[in-house]
Amino acid sequence: MSRQDAGSTPVPGEDDALDHVDVALLDRLGRAVRATDPVPESLVERSLFAMTLARLEAEVMELQQITAPAGSVRGDAAPLEARTITFTHERLTVMIALSADDDGAHVRVDGWVAPADTLTVELRQPGGERTTDADADGRFAFSAVDRGPTSLLVHLAGGDDVTVATPVIEL
Amino acid sequence: MSPTSHDPLGGARDAEESLGDRAARALLEYREGRTDALTDLVREATPLLWHTVRAQGADRDVADDVVQSTWAALVRHADTIAEPKAVLKWLLVTARRAAWQAVRKDRTDARRRTELPDDVTEGAAALPDFGPGPEDEVLRDERDRLLWSSLKRLPQRCQELLRLVSLADRPDYKAISASIGMPVGSIGATRGRCLAKLRAVLTEQGEASWT
Repeated sequence: MSRQDAGSTPVPGEDDALDHVDVALLDRLGRAVRATDPVPESLVERSLFAMTLARLEAEVMELQQITAPAGSVRGDAAPLEARTITFTHERLTVMIALSADDDGAHVRVDGWVAPADTLTVELRQPGGERTTDADADGRFAFSAVDRGPTSLLVHLAGGDDVTVATPVIEL
Repeated sequence: MSPTSHDPLGGARDAEESLGDRAARALLEYREGRTDALTDLVREATPLLWHTVRAQGADRDVADDVVQSTWAALVRHADTIAEPKAVLKWLLVTARRAAWQAVRKDRTDARRRTELPDDVTEGAAALPDFGPGPEDEVLRDERDRLLWSSLKRLPQRCQELLRLVSLADRPDYKAISASIGMPVGSIGATRGRCLAKLRAVLTEQGEASWT
């Protein structure tokens, strides 16, 4: 079957049965793949949380931009200092700035919604949810937030009852 | 995912449930309101999705986002996926497509920001370049390094296929190769083109003791 592949010449041995050497090579390769590019810690937990959010049938915003100290990666226990994240949706943009709170034990989230409106913003974590309202300038804040997978949900203005959610981020 | 599941002589193992089978069962149970199998599937299949996405050239932040979104999409489409048996392939195709779109968008955005001429090779899904540093640190065994450098001499699609099948069970090879557009049956029951190429490169290098 592989001979039909783009009309290129057959590779000797391609139709042979998989043998012990192939098995050993694949096992070794699998270990190398895992070691050279490890899956971020807690990606599984964030994914499970994202699935819980998906059941709420909110529209998911797009992660537009992360500004973070060089070398840090979300999900790899990045330091919080000066991390700002922008999320976009066709009807709304949310920007959040993260900073350490309570001497680093918790996280402070300062956010802005644009266009500015007094929208209700909900912060969801696997352990529970908190709600606040943005002010007339679109500003909102959550203080003393636990670290861990987090998503913000915004209930849009208008009678169509649309809720948008950010992708899950790791605080 | 145990190493023995690759055992070509262990015929009895083929009768066991593959990742693809478990994925199908997880979806069916989820439709009936039971979520445990799906939770297990997320734990087991996330590495495969991660490396699928990374193979499209997505950086770690983007890949993180795409993997989450893929699982969320599965929940949203749980009732409309026509073929539960193909749910593993559905996951891989969805992740791969989303990664490809994200990478393409990033490149467009980067061009727009910098207003530089288009110097990006379109269509080539560059494998993430990990640089020499991390690999040298992580792959301390000489044979690991030889295997890795030999892999990199293969066509890009072969590299992607072999990286992914190395993380899966043998019965899942078909779904994986189909999801990345390789001919069905090109690996699994037989060695397949990519693995044969890899062995040819390794033989050139004179290293034969792999077991």
